[in-house]
Amino acid sequence: MSQYASLLIALPLFGAFLIPVLKKVGKNLVMPFLVLVTLIQTGIAAWVFNEVYTSGKPIIIMAGGFKPPVGINLYIGYFAALFVLIVAVASFLMAVFSIKAVKVEPQDKYAMLFLLLMLGATGMIATGDIFNLFVFMEITAISAYALTAYNKTGEASEAALKYVVLGGIGSSFFLVGVALIYGSLGTLNMAHIAQLASMINPTVAKVGLALLIFGLAVEAELFPLNAWAPDAYQEAPHPITAVFSAFVVKASLYAIARILYIFSASEGWNSVLSLLIIMGTLTVVIGELSALRQTNVKRMIAYSSIAQVGLIAVGIALGTQKGLDASIFQMFNHAIVKLLMFLAVGYAALELGGPEMENFKGLGKRMPITAFGITLGAIAIIGIPLFNVFWSKMQLIIAALEAEKTGVVALILGASLVEMVYYVRLIHTIWFQGDGDKIRENSALALVMLLLIAFIILIGIYPQPFWDIMQKAGSDIFNVAEYIKNVPLVGVSP
Amino acid sequence: MNPYYFASIALILIGFYAILAKRNILKMLVGLSIMETGVNLLLISVGYVSGKSAPILTEGVTPNNAVDPIPQALVLTAIVIGVATTAMALSVVINLYEKYKTLNVEEIRRLRG
Repeated sequence: MSQYASLLIALPLFGAFLIPVLKKVGKNLVMPFLVLVTLIQTGIAAWVFNEVYTSGKPIIIMAGGFKPPVGINLYIGYFAALFVLIVAVASFLMAVFSIKAVKVEPQDKYAMLFLLLMLGATGMIATGDIFNLFVFMEITAISAYALTAYNKTGEASEAALKYVVLGGIGSSFFLVGVALIYGSLGTLNMAHIAQLASMINPTVAKVGLALLIFGLAVEAELFPLNAWAPDAYQEAPHPITAVFSAFVVKASLYAIARILYIFSASEGWNSVLSLLIIMGTLTVVIGELSALRQTNVKRMIAYSSIAQVGLIAVGIALGTQKGLDASIFQMFNHAIVKLLMFLAVGYAALELGGPEMENFKGLGKRMPITAFGITLGAIAIIGIPLFNVFWSKMQLIIAALEAEKTGVVALILGASLVEMVYYVRLIHTIWFQGDGDKIRENSALALVMLLLIAFIILIGIYPQPFWDIMQKAGSDIFNVAEYIKNVPLVGVSP
Repeated sequence: MNPYYFASIALILIGFYAILAKRNILKMLVGLSIMETGVNLLLISVGYVSGKSAPILTEGVTPNNAVDPIPQALVLTAIVIGVATTAMALSVVINLYEKYKTLNVEEIRRLRG
């Protein structure tokens, strides 16, 4: 029964291949079909989520019936079930937004690439094999390159070129890391690697792990490799920007966490953790300081998004269960809030003709619900009590204190302070400056925004049930012994 | 040192150097391709066992005298991915040249900040 969970991969792939056929039948069918496929995907993901959390056991799918480590396995545990659901819901909401936002032809290619992006992110989260992770990462990356360049303006091509070159370097690094680890251990299965991790040569472990993290850091937007991100966020179609921030980054961060922790038994692991802490800290500092001086609202939120990613990476690199739980909570909250903000900003930019700060004057009077969405998202991301991000930042601080890293506490508080400065400036521009005629807001998008707002406030007031889920998801990554035990490795002994 | 490892790492470094130092976008993409070739060569040489033949089980070739087949599957995938990335990048470059009328990366800087 649980093998039906492989539909999570099969359905978007099948849907993507069906779109060119569908286009021959009728051009107007493509966008509704995209919404339909993402809706079905959401249904399957919700069923998988329910299945995993009620039974307490991960769903293991073996490709072709070959047992790991011979075959490839998908591992949908607590963490993967949660994030596959987030990917599906975010895709569904953005598919609804795409109907309004993407009028540029060819729409069929857009829909196809969108489904492939969703497929790649789902695969990255679900896979249990390190080379399969690379393949899904490249599916995500290549669809992301194409979608960044989708608007065909000079600026969009420039952003896409930066992304392609950095992504190419990153994937080469990742592959060198895979070669080193395969050469040293002779296996590609994550559970098997985790079982053998204590026997690996410490130098190979350090170099290989650092290369893998550098490769994933391109997609995850960590400091030395994130130069593409603000440009791509600014120039991609609005729904794609939201999707980048909501799950493409999260899938890579998850992969970093998973790969990092399967090596936790190897020597020299702590030095890789400190590498990740340094990268995360620099990401936060540079992201927040760059966001301060932006005049383009979309670019400003992009920098804010990068800074949040840095906080999550620092949480992952604390090396404790508490830190992982907190950063997963932050990933979850950040996905919701940034979905809302990029949706609202993108919609406003569509109606007002561009995301420059000038155009946002008087938005509060012209488009009240959209302006309310941006405001609430901004307040939530700063981390004001009664909104969701407050709890995850709080947990991050507690985790950092328990790990005795006071520098991290100062980093989180300082970042929140800087965030407050530029978001309050944005809110001030929206509500207290300018004037204009009222614009009738699209009711479907207003509904989506109100839904996300309600969710933010719900988590803000009742964080406990969500925190319980995050703790389970965190233990899924932290508890490597349990992970090895759950994957039925055949014919191997350590 | 094994000459295969030396050559593949050298190719990776040459490609990386070209990406960092060249200003013409097409030369940067050539560097990217060289780097990908180097990675593929490294992957293949990881699976080489001295003196054994290709892992196709025909008469006279048994599993005991074949090289490791797994890196070959990996490289086959990686080659295809590399070609797809290059094709994607080249189509972006065509559009870029139409809009900017130059291929020098230092003149392609409309996005700032």
